[in-house]
Amino acid sequence: MSLAYLLRRLGTLLLVLFGVSLVTFAIIPLLPGSPARVTLGVQATPEAVATLERQMGLDRPLPVQYVSWIGGIITRGDFGTSLISRQPIRGEVTRRLPATITLALVALAIGLAIAIPAGYVSALKPGSARDLGVSVMSQLGVSVPDFWMGILLILLFSETLGWLPSSGYRPLSDGFVPWGRHVLLPAATVGIISGSIMARFVRSALLEVLGQDYVRTAHAKGVPRRTVLRKHVMRNAAISIVTIVGLQMATLLSAVVVVEIIFAWPGLGQLALTATLQRDYPALQAAVLLAAVTFTVVNLLTDLSYTFLDPRISYA
Amino acid sequence: MTRIRTLALALGLALTGLAAAQTSGGTLVAAWEQEPVGLDPHITSARSSYQVLENVLDTLITLDAEQNLVPSLAHAWTVADDGLSVTFELREGVRFSNGTEFTSQHVVTVFERLLDPETGSGNAWRMAGVTSIDAPDATTVVLTLDAPNPSLLGHLASSNALAIFDPVGALDGSINTRPIGTGPFMISDYQPGTRVLLERNPHYWEDGLPYLDAVDIRIIGDETVRRSALVTGDIDWAFSIPPQAVEELDARDDVLVDRAAAGAYYYIGVNTAEGPLADERVRRAIAFAINRDNIAAAAEFGNAQVTQDPIPPSSAWNFGYAPYGYDPERARELLAEAGFADGFEMEIMPTSFIEATIRAAQVIQADLAAVGIRASIRTLEWAEWLQEQGDGNYDTFVCSWNGLIDPDDFFYAQHRTGEVFNFTGYSNPTVDELLDEARMLPEFDARRPLYEQINRTIVDEAPYIYLYNPLEIHAYAPDVMGFAARADQAVRFVTTWLDR
Repeated sequence: MSLAYLLRRLGTLLLVLFGVSLVTFAIIPLLPGSPARVTLGVQATPEAVATLERQMGLDRPLPVQYVSWIGGIITRGDFGTSLISRQPIRGEVTRRLPATITLALVALAIGLAIAIPAGYVSALKPGSARDLGVSVMSQLGVSVPDFWMGILLILLFSETLGWLPSSGYRPLSDGFVPWGRHVLLPAATVGIISGSIMARFVRSALLEVLGQDYVRTAHAKGVPRRTVLRKHVMRNAAISIVTIVGLQMATLLSAVVVVEIIFAWPGLGQLALTATLQRDYPALQAAVLLAAVTFTVVNLLTDLSYTFLDPRISYA
Repeated sequence: MTRIRTLALALGLALTGLAAAQTSGGTLVAAWEQEPVGLDPHITSARSSYQVLENVLDTLITLDAEQNLVPSLAHAWTVADDGLSVTFELREGVRFSNGTEFTSQHVVTVFERLLDPETGSGNAWRMAGVTSIDAPDATTVVLTLDAPNPSLLGHLASSNALAIFDPVGALDGSINTRPIGTGPFMISDYQPGTRVLLERNPHYWEDGLPYLDAVDIRIIGDETVRRSALVTGDIDWAFSIPPQAVEELDARDDVLVDRAAAGAYYYIGVNTAEGPLADERVRRAIAFAINRDNIAAAAEFGNAQVTQDPIPPSSAWNFGYAPYGYDPERARELLAEAGFADGFEMEIMPTSFIEATIRAAQVIQADLAAVGIRASIRTLEWAEWLQEQGDGNYDTFVCSWNGLIDPDDFFYAQHRTGEVFNFTGYSNPTVDELLDEARMLPEFDARRPLYEQINRTIVDEAPYIYLYNPLEIHAYAPDVMGFAARADQAVRFVTTWLDR
């Protein structure tokens, strides 16, 4: 992989983010309703709405607002001020970021812990009873809406069994056990769903490799089955699996929004929803931009990881 | 004041048959349904904000559980005979939670900020008529009015928009997240969307109160999860519980369901500007066509009292005027008289922000279909709903008014021609005159007949079609003591304690 390639990719990434920033900035204020009206509620007099919009800086032309917003981000890493709480958004984002990252990573881990074994056992004996079992389970996991899955898990593990708290977040600094007890249900909600989706991809990726000539050759050479699976099959299927994991980030990001609301999880998804409902434009723009950054960076990392997984691949 | 509160508490304890003495300390974990929309009392309009502020800021005067005016930061007040000035004698030795001594000057600064158009407050109307606020000495405040405002004392007592805070927060912007008050608790942590932590105000002026060390307010938006959190003991107290869960929770002995008739009503607001709905007969037809019992059953699962006029039976101003029985036949006659024998098409606009309005709209839609009115439902989220209502882009909407005390609150701003909350476009010169006259009169006996006439006219002409008075419902663990649901929907933890 050459440096020029890396720079080119980074340049494209910045271009994409610039486009995203432009589009979100232009689209979000088109939502009907305004932050001034939400704040004032049913008591909104036209004068009060006008005064608040002036205080919020919404009376300025859109291009002027955009330049001051993007300028703040580039020069000072300043995402502006929330129109509702009037607090700096950067602080809000920094406070929420660890919660969302925790949730996403644990969810991904749970998802992989489901997908790889499930895909593996069903791919080894396609058409068998256990393959059918995995198919049925993964179909179920894909079909259950995330909010409903969350509530079912709360009813079972929190209300009926009393093992885990029903909602809330504790940082890792509070200790591993309180942290783990709080993260388990929301992460399992997302993890079960994304695991079910990934299990199918893992299965087909493994099946494809299992049908390759070199696998048959390896068997014919008398290489032990275990070694064939580990060295030839899993390693070659890894590329497809990493691609799926990268693509799953999009599903993960959107599922996290819903799950954060249900479990009162103080992350970025919750910030995005609250900002949407309250028409807190700068907070929403920050959330969208961050999601875009996450997604594009994960995509880049996925592409770059191919060169490590498969030495034949190189980017020039 | 201390005596009144102690007495009320003692009475409360006696009634529940508890002999235990109040114990201090502990943290009450409370769940709110919606997150505060900023905490600047002058700017916000959200109940979720005011119910935090209720425990942090004091008003000059306040309401006791029976809705009587009682002292708070002012220990005495006098209204001039002509109603053109009100004088408050302030309590001495009161400090804000930051240690600053509270004086009359703070009251002047706070009220002047509220009335300043540059503040952009939607609450300035509550002090209508006030032209100046003066502090002749450190413990006296005089409000001067250019016209009497009979609801002024009610607003000063019931609305946290008129509560007193240390104005220093308005200068540095901290008022939006941590307003500093003289109340029993102070905000020590505010994480928008997640948590508000209230800690005991060390300078609170009532000896021995509050009992709790802290109130940890979590925002749990999903009603099923809020219910689960209460049942599992993750939270001690829940702000509003889903009406469909009331019966089930009532039957449990690990949860206490507390309810009070609320000074609130749900209604259909009708756009009287044009089309079939501009005809009074059509609006009356709708009032006859709807089955309020079914609406209350569907919208609130029966936790409501159906009504045809706004002021609830718990108020001395209740009139109980009910000219509309459920009468689809009469509705069809009225429609035929108005030239709509074949019905017409219209829209109902509920908001997903208040789920009860959606359930109500569905019943209303079915009832209207039975008399030939083809209603469609357009459910909007709150921000869009407010915009459409404000712009008059609707045929009918379903919403509620909350926390109303004086009859002037129930009618003036909503129905007087061109007033701020007159979103229906209703205009009746006779009603306008009566409203203007009634708010000038000081005596209950003189005002009542005027409001009775106003009430009758508005119910008959139906710019608002009244549906029901809801109950204020809270649910909490049985060891949460000294809390009671109130008619004014205030949530006060000052006398709350934990028996554990």
